[in-house]
Amino acid sequence: MNTWFKSGKPWIWLTAGSVSISLIAVIGLVVMIGWRGLSFFWPAAIHEMSIEQADGSTRTLIGEIYESESVPTSRVSNSGTIMDGYEDEEVTRYLMKIGNREYVPLDFAWVLGPAIRSDETPADLAVIERTKDGNFYGYPIAVEQQGERVATHGDLREELFKRAERAVELNEQAMQLQEGEIGAINYELTQLNLQRRGLELSGTLTEEAINDIERRREELQSQYLEYEKELFALRDKAGRDSLIMRDMRGEEIKVPMYQVLDVNFPNDMGFFAKLGHFFQQIGKFVSEPPREANTEGGVFPAIFGTVFMVLLMSVIVAPFGVIAAVYLHEYAGKNAVTKLIRIAVINLAGVPSIVYGVFGLGFFVYMVGGSLDQIFYPEALPNPTFGTPGVLWSAVTLAILTLPVVIVATEEGLSRIPPTLREGSLSLGATKWETIWRIVLPMASPAIMTGLILAVARAAGEVAPLMLVGVVKSAPMLPVDGNFPYFHLDRKFMHLGFHIYDVGFQSPNVEAARPLVYATSFLLITLIVGLNLTAIGVRNHLREKYRSLEH
Amino acid sequence: MISVNPSTNNLEKLDLHNLPAEQTALDIKNLNLYYGEDQALHDISMRIPNNRVTAFIGPSGCGKSTLLRCINRMNDLVEICRIDGQIDMHGHNIYDKNVDVAALRRRVGMVFQRPNPFPKSIYENVVYGLRLQGVKDKRVLDEAVETSLRGAALWDEVKDRLNASAFSLSGGQQQRVVIARSIAIEPEILLLDEPTSALDPISTLTIEELITELKEKYTVVIVTHNMQQAARVSDQTAFLYMGKLIEYADTDTLFTTPSEKQTEDYITGRYG
Repeated sequence: MNTWFKSGKPWIWLTAGSVSISLIAVIGLVVMIGWRGLSFFWPAAIHEMSIEQADGSTRTLIGEIYESESVPTSRVSNSGTIMDGYEDEEVTRYLMKIGNREYVPLDFAWVLGPAIRSDETPADLAVIERTKDGNFYGYPIAVEQQGERVATHGDLREELFKRAERAVELNEQAMQLQEGEIGAINYELTQLNLQRRGLELSGTLTEEAINDIERRREELQSQYLEYEKELFALRDKAGRDSLIMRDMRGEEIKVPMYQVLDVNFPNDMGFFAKLGHFFQQIGKFVSEPPREANTEGGVFPAIFGTVFMVLLMSVIVAPFGVIAAVYLHEYAGKNAVTKLIRIAVINLAGVPSIVYGVFGLGFFVYMVGGSLDQIFYPEALPNPTFGTPGVLWSAVTLAILTLPVVIVATEEGLSRIPPTLREGSLSLGATKWETIWRIVLPMASPAIMTGLILAVARAAGEVAPLMLVGVVKSAPMLPVDGNFPYFHLDRKFMHLGFHIYDVGFQSPNVEAARPLVYATSFLLITLIVGLNLTAIGVRNHLREKYRSLEH
Repeated sequence: MISVNPSTNNLEKLDLHNLPAEQTALDIKNLNLYYGEDQALHDISMRIPNNRVTAFIGPSGCGKSTLLRCINRMNDLVEICRIDGQIDMHGHNIYDKNVDVAALRRRVGMVFQRPNPFPKSIYENVVYGLRLQGVKDKRVLDEAVETSLRGAALWDEVKDRLNASAFSLSGGQQQRVVIARSIAIEPEILLLDEPTSALDPISTLTIEELITELKEKYTVVIVTHNMQQAARVSDQTAFLYMGKLIEYADTDTLFTTPSEKQTEDYITGRYG
């Protein structure tokens, strides 16, 4: 035993074991999140079940099986359900997503295994994705055009797909009109109001200026009316058709075509059709804005907000961190004060992030932002411009949060530059600054990139401080758009991390939102890994370029 | 016994102790240097003639490199280093308060023990000093690269790959890039701090031949602990021991008839 300990083998086992446990934990986490997140996009079969109810009557349910679990029979009978003639100790319980939210009290239903009398997956069952009220499950009966049935049996599907596509296209045009032209006019009108208020404040609001502004306002108004007419025309066109469906109660229900986003017959799909649908759904998830209080639709604004904020933060933190590190390492005297500052900087990394959030809110938002508003945007007051949480303040707050990481990594890099290279540069008549700028900093750039990688990894996953300084549940506009000056750093933004919290814990429909939580988490992980891999690629390139002398 | 290369020493012998001003490149007067409490150089006084090769020899730690680094004020980088005395260059003390150190270093080039090319192309290494001075004209730079690389006897080896990284060269070639880099800014004095100690014998020979050529245009001061090298390349030699200048004479004289006992002991290998 003693010799076994001396041989060092237990150490090897201990270290290898720790590594394995960490690996298993990480891989398990990623696989679990990935599986549960991605399986949400795979088209599930639609079941038509007939269920025996307590009073002996049967009820038909149409929907997807969302989840199944085993529960002890005793627990089920204790809760009042009669389980006569059922002998097994455990009973399977299914959670069905039955959709049709406006016609049933709950769009999810629990079904006990033994109560199922029949279970079929007819090929005619369709799932309809709608802009409102979630999915609709049922049998398509007919397509109506202005109240008249134009297609029933044979050509129903073909006609259905064609008309659904038309409606989606018209909706898209309407959306583009609304967000593009009409959005631009609204923006200009706001600017016009601000301009008027600005002139009023500076006391130069002359008759002439008022007339000019009014003239432009009227111009914009008339343009607006025209676009509005166009918009209504598009909507009317989209509202031409509707779809008659038979739901699980056997009733015929009219679904307006303009609400339809997608029609599918998952029971009638082959593997490759399902695969195509799977990727199509993922594509929609990453490219579309959320609907229905974030429980449906995609997460594009959150992806955009996260990436934009992280890039903005990198742009702020990199120069500041590098400059601070250069001063600390190259210019500051090597004495106790410098040492103290360095220790303080390193310890800053350990401050809880919510503290930075509070600091950002108090200092940046209210003090700096408030003062900026007083000086540069008095015409908008009392509405704040920069004196309210926004993407700029989020980026600045996270920049402070990640500053220590960049400083420490940069200093490490600076101290690894061989002194002979500095001497070589100095001996050619370079000043210290020229040497740092031309030789030292380029050679330290891989280390700076390392710092930035760590900073990005930390910032992209940080949520708590952002809740105080700029993140919102739903932002009407992206921080970048086509209206001058294109970058609107004062706007609030959406963030994947906060989106996970919001969908998972603040959602009115927890069951519907759960897969979205997994999908969003998986996306956030993918995004951070992607950002890091990009930065690592850049760093390796730089390393290769500045590979130092191999002494 | 060490043989002195006659070809390098057919110059007229100078009276080193009463060197006329017009033949003096550097006049070191009563130089003392301290690292904190320790004195590393003791009252050094000597005149270094221009367009000749002067060698500093002596055992490790004798202060020869320290003395060399005083000439381009490289010791300024060492915080605890303190200097008194003076070094005159054209009658002006380089340790005067109002001396621009960067400008001084442009006039006094330096080559180090280990080749230290920058992590740039050969071309960019050579024009580094010129770019610092703000030279942008491509023609001027191209010309300087060719002249300097020819001056450093490297042109024929690298003329087809000027844009290759300087790290891709051999040690000896790298050292010649460093020499080319130094002479590209046309200094008056070239300081060589054991320039061949990290090189193989063939590269050493190339560099030594180069040094002999360099003295036509520049005043060369070389530190070496290889006495044969000092004898081969230098015109006059200074022997330092424990921070003191023991003997300073023509290389011929110093190696054949040293006047000091310590010098004789050192060159005959009794210590060091």
